[in-house]
Amino acid sequence: MKDLLLYLLPIVILFIGGFTLMLVDAFQKEEGGLAVPTAMLHFAAAAAALALWPYAGNAADLARAQVAFNGWLAFDRTTLFLDITIALGGGLTTLLAGSYLAEHKLERGEFYTLITFASAGCMMLAGATDLIMLFIGLETLSLGVYALTGFRRTSARSQEGALKYFLLGSFAAALLLYGSALLYGMTGHTDLAGIRDALGRAVEMPAIAGQEGAAQFVAVQQTVRDRVTILAMVLVVAGLAFKVGSVPFHMWTPDAYEGAPTPATAYMAVTVKAAAFGAMLRVLIGVFGDTSGPASLAGGWPGLLVWLAVLSMLIGNLVALAQSSVKRMLAYSSIAHGGYILAAFVVAPRAESLAGGGGSVGQSAAAAVLFYLLAYTVSNVGAFGALILAGSRGKEAVSYEDLAGLGKRHPAVALALSFFVLSLAGMPPTVGFFAKYNVIRSAIEAGYPWLALAVVINSAIGVYYYLRVMVKMYMHDPQPGAVRAEPMSSPGISLTLIATAGMVLALGMMPQRFYGYALEAVKLAAAPIAAAPADAPPANAN
Amino acid sequence: MTIQISHYLILSALLFSIGAAGFLVRRNSLVALMCIELMLNAVNLTLIAFNRWMPANAGGAVPHHGHVFAFFVIAVAAAEAALGLAIVLSLYRIRKVVRTDDANLMKE
Repeated sequence: MKDLLLYLLPIVILFIGGFTLMLVDAFQKEEGGLAVPTAMLHFAAAAAALALWPYAGNAADLARAQVAFNGWLAFDRTTLFLDITIALGGGLTTLLAGSYLAEHKLERGEFYTLITFASAGCMMLAGATDLIMLFIGLETLSLGVYALTGFRRTSARSQEGALKYFLLGSFAAALLLYGSALLYGMTGHTDLAGIRDALGRAVEMPAIAGQEGAAQFVAVQQTVRDRVTILAMVLVVAGLAFKVGSVPFHMWTPDAYEGAPTPATAYMAVTVKAAAFGAMLRVLIGVFGDTSGPASLAGGWPGLLVWLAVLSMLIGNLVALAQSSVKRMLAYSSIAHGGYILAAFVVAPRAESLAGGGGSVGQSAAAAVLFYLLAYTVSNVGAFGALILAGSRGKEAVSYEDLAGLGKRHPAVALALSFFVLSLAGMPPTVGFFAKYNVIRSAIEAGYPWLALAVVINSAIGVYYYLRVMVKMYMHDPQPGAVRAEPMSSPGISLTLIATAGMVLALGMMPQRFYGYALEAVKLAAAPIAAAPADAPPANAN
Repeated sequence: MTIQISHYLILSALLFSIGAAGFLVRRNSLVALMCIELMLNAVNLTLIAFNRWMPANAGGAVPHHGHVFAFFVIAVAAAEAALGLAIVLSLYRIRKVVRTDDANLMKE
């Protein structure tokens, strides 16, 4: 039993670290110096998750852990993969924040505490297998990120972004909660395994069996349950879609991204996405992805989600074309990236049924989601990091015009920005290419050629505005008299960017290997989710 | 007439709809905050009504998941309201506005 507590290590490191940071910040005389310890905490959490990886390979151990924690959290490799992604994203953005906050005179210790707690919330959300846990994780990360968005207290834009993000985010959380409450009412369970199990059975009413009209009554109850379950599912998915900023729930994204201090933007772009997509994976594929139940829901939602995916890609990309601010362009492009990931979701359950329940194609789609999240994390942190490096106090690089001529003035910075932008655009040999390739391949394998085509066309649109960044930097000269971005000199950011670039290249050079890890991660995830309910009723149910 | 589960559920659905409609229609950020609170409380009512209605399990006891969930919602709602008011106040200090329509610096 005690050894099972080790499974909590990544989350515990971040929580204890967060409290320690709070104390240190309260008692130290001058601000600053917390960036490196915070990053170390994140990397320690990543290392802990990595060390747990071999132990999470045993289905019996996983079932035992599932019982020990009352089915609140899963400790399978899906969780660990997402934990590593989240910790990596959080650690790298903290390193960027260290130099950024000092440069822009924003250095206050709360930033690091908030980011640490938010990362812990992300991990809780990514590992949650209970609706209560899912909600707490979601709110822990959201409250942290709202505060990070409004961190620049003297800037009206920052506060506006925070207000919009907060209001729409809370609204989304309320939708998700109402969906959760209805699911609880329909099944009597808050744990996902129990919900899946209960929905897999037809409604039974032993108390009235044999009485007159009992069969009709049960049939009515069944219809009610099915309809309410669908409503609940839509509400839960809408709440999560809000968090990942997919169309039509994307309104907050550009304003929050633009208003937030750039490292906070990078943070919410990568970690929140990873955590929310992880939760979506568990809810949509884990609970509603079963195509064999009597009232199978897996037939219904892909048809709806495909519109979200295609619209996210299309609207994200088309609006990104029209932006004059690079930060806003990255915001809309993140909506588009969310669309590509959703495309893999659409494919997963359909593929499962095609493959006859075993679902190797469905697994490859789920693995494509995980791989995409990792790839997006390293590429996006790099892009935002290069954007931070390109500006200094009073001369921030925000719009395309700020970047004009940067290639001539500061070739190294321009090269870094170009490299990460190319990875986001999906150019080989960077990892962005293979992330998209996996999505497209699983779409074709699952018999969705037109969805694959949509991803390809949208990637092509994306290339246009990503290349525009490079065209501005290398082929345009700044307008005479215009404010130009002046790169800051920061060895910390430079080192972070070199490390990130190394990861982008390593992932891009050995995609099969890392995709293999992602595949391993989803293979074992399916087992405990399906197996837990029958033999492991939650211990707190007495 | 006896009060049944359905009455509670209809009431909570109404409260939730009023909250959601108010959030979408009203432009004052403080009213929007109140609407969110209304929605969260509608959720609490739903949870508790459902829990009351849950059949006992094999041991003869009724599981308390719904009650526990409601407590967590209450705690989180309080934290959320604190943060929300802080953000509204912070924006008011800079721009002297509380209406969401006036928060339009970033429209393009």
